[in-house]
Amino acid sequence: MSSYAGMGGDAPDLVCQLDCAQGMVDALSSVRWKRHQDAVVEISEHGVVLIVEESGCLQAKVYLKRELFLVYEYTAEGRPRFGLSLGLFVDCLNTFSTPGHAPVIEIRYPGPDMQLLLKTVDSPDACIYAEIRTRIPDTISWDYNFQPTGNVHATFTVRSAVLKEAVDDLEWPGSSIQIVLQPDPPSVILRGEGHGDLQVEFPYYANTELLIAFQCDHRVSYRYKYKFLRATTSHIPNSILKDNRGSKVTIGRGGMLKIQHLVSVKRAGGQHSHGDTSGGIQQLSRIAYIEFFVKPEEDENPVNDT
Amino acid sequence: MELSLSGNALKTFTRSVTCLARVGTELVLVASPSKLELHTLNSSRSAYQTVSFHPGSFDIYILSSSSSSIRCSVLLKSLCSVLRTPAAALDRIAVALPSPDAAKLQCTLHCLSGAKKTYWITCNVDPDVQQLSLDRRRFPSSLIVRPRDLARLLANFQSSLQEITIIATETSAGPSDSRDEIGRKAVELRSYIDPTKDNSDATLHTQLWIDPAEEFFQYTHTGDPVDVTFGVKELKAFLAFCEGCEVNIHIFFEKAGEPILMAPRFGFDDASDSDFDATLVLATMLVSQLNAGSSTEQPSVPPVPQLERSRAANASPVSDNPSNHTKIWSELSGSAAKSSDTIRGKQVQDEGNPSSSIPNDQQTPNVINVPRVPAAQEDTLDTQQPMETDDRDKTQDRADMHGNPYSQHHLSNWVGAVDDEDDDDDEELCVQSTPHYYD
Repeated sequence: MSSYAGMGGDAPDLVCQLDCAQGMVDALSSVRWKRHQDAVVEISEHGVVLIVEESGCLQAKVYLKRELFLVYEYTAEGRPRFGLSLGLFVDCLNTFSTPGHAPVIEIRYPGPDMQLLLKTVDSPDACIYAEIRTRIPDTISWDYNFQPTGNVHATFTVRSAVLKEAVDDLEWPGSSIQIVLQPDPPSVILRGEGHGDLQVEFPYYANTELLIAFQCDHRVSYRYKYKFLRATTSHIPNSILKDNRGSKVTIGRGGMLKIQHLVSVKRAGGQHSHGDTSGGIQQLSRIAYIEFFVKPEEDENPVNDT
Repeated sequence: MELSLSGNALKTFTRSVTCLARVGTELVLVASPSKLELHTLNSSRSAYQTVSFHPGSFDIYILSSSSSSIRCSVLLKSLCSVLRTPAAALDRIAVALPSPDAAKLQCTLHCLSGAKKTYWITCNVDPDVQQLSLDRRRFPSSLIVRPRDLARLLANFQSSLQEITIIATETSAGPSDSRDEIGRKAVELRSYIDPTKDNSDATLHTQLWIDPAEEFFQYTHTGDPVDVTFGVKELKAFLAFCEGCEVNIHIFFEKAGEPILMAPRFGFDDASDSDFDATLVLATMLVSQLNAGSSTEQPSVPPVPQLERSRAANASPVSDNPSNHTKIWSELSGSAAKSSDTIRGKQVQDEGNPSSSIPNDQQTPNVINVPRVPAAQEDTLDTQQPMETDDRDKTQDRADMHGNPYSQHHLSNWVGAVDDEDDDDDEELCVQSTPHYYD
């Protein structure tokens, strides 16, 4: 505590405590499609948002609401932002959580030299302490004004495992993947053409389990680079696929693709996990939201018209 | 052409494609009213596999042109990507070729989840249709083995082993006392390591002597011993296929240089009511791994080294207890005397006596130098044989240690190294290389 007193009496912008490092690692790993990846963290009174971008075409955001934290004390004004290495942050959280034991981790920002400070606080006998150097974010992340293509959003929800399997399969044709939503017959089509062609189809009426939700009032079709599409699903941890949650895919104006995953940030082996009814609401709120935005390929002749 | 597969037939189809993909790179589909055949031939044309399915195993089997068969050729790699979705997650697969000369083969996977995956696989423009038909009844020798048993036997070999030799001898009819233990082990599996490759130090040599009655379901071989050396990769692929289909493996062979044929064996009567059949044909090495000159006597040799070696290990390297050897060898040659060329065989045995693998050793260099041409090998061996014989005549007693001018120095190498009996396979290799460099 004394170290913060040296900051001219100012309280740090953020002091939060976390009891579910593994869930946090899962959520952050989902957006780690490269080994060395820079992320921008934005802190607000609502929680923490971590943003990762690649070449202006792919953006991922992890929303960690303040409800996910045991303690969340936010005192700053104007939403401070800082950059850090995502890989370092994930590895660091991993180091803190030992199997079978979920420590309470306190995260502070900023430290005396604008570091992110992490330490365990649940044990009086020992303490693991880490500092992660932060950077001034050099780019301002694009904030896309996501709007529906028509009167309603063209959107569907499918189980995360099914979406991942489809995207994995599409590696075979590779390169460019066309995503089509059509109202008649209501179905979603993902299509890739290369040395061979593959079309994966999710018909709405085939199986009630398949498309959990589907909304589309006119045919929408755009192409996306396979490597970006792959980044949106390939790193979803297995624990999340087993949770059997849905992923929501929406195509907005201009073909902007939004893919949302829900990652539960439960306490590993904690008291909340075994089927208590009162914990239902609490568990619901212990969800990290992950959003991916993928820009469509520039296309002289939009397949939209076909 | 329109086909649809589900259930067990689908699983068999998936297994077939997996197996075919480990044999060759390109698949030729031939659909005729009586059956659907899948063929593959590897690039070096040393392995050929065909799997045929009875139309009855398909849910839908429609050929547009009923008269002639339809052929198309696709890359097995592509087909494997199609079958990446596990068969357990599939309801059915529909395969369609819109026209006999269509550019793409269409495979539609109807998943149990409700998703539908349609693959269009580019057909090869010029299907190189190879039909190889070998009459299984033509093969004089065969064995039937359960996949699990074969897998257990193969587990003794280094996983990186590329080629394996099967040596088949006649099961001894009336075992004498001395042959009781070893004589029953009429089949030998031996790792074959290409002596021209300079990896002899890193490889594990394995020899297994097998009692066919114990390990095989059925074993047929009469007359002279034969050996076949062929690829392990294809064998393992076929093994996995048969294991998945829960059928035994029937291996047909004739002799070195002649192809070996493998087929699934259905039940006891090889029931023809099975709705699929498969044939794997592998080329074998031209060069026999048997002691070429004494090939007829080889049957007794494989079991002997064990015996010999244990004695040799105890004995001092130099005085290799010749009387002992002589006794054993005369017994063996006596029992093996049914071979045509008794005298010659016996002499070679005598020569092989001190260290029964020496004949192998000295001949292998010939094998190396002569690139797998049996005729040439015969020549070298023939020239070698008389010399040995002469030598033997002169110094019959000392023949064991010094008789063979060819093997003299590696013989001593070998004897010195015999101290560790477990090493004999490795030693064999060491000795092999010696004359190669010194000559």
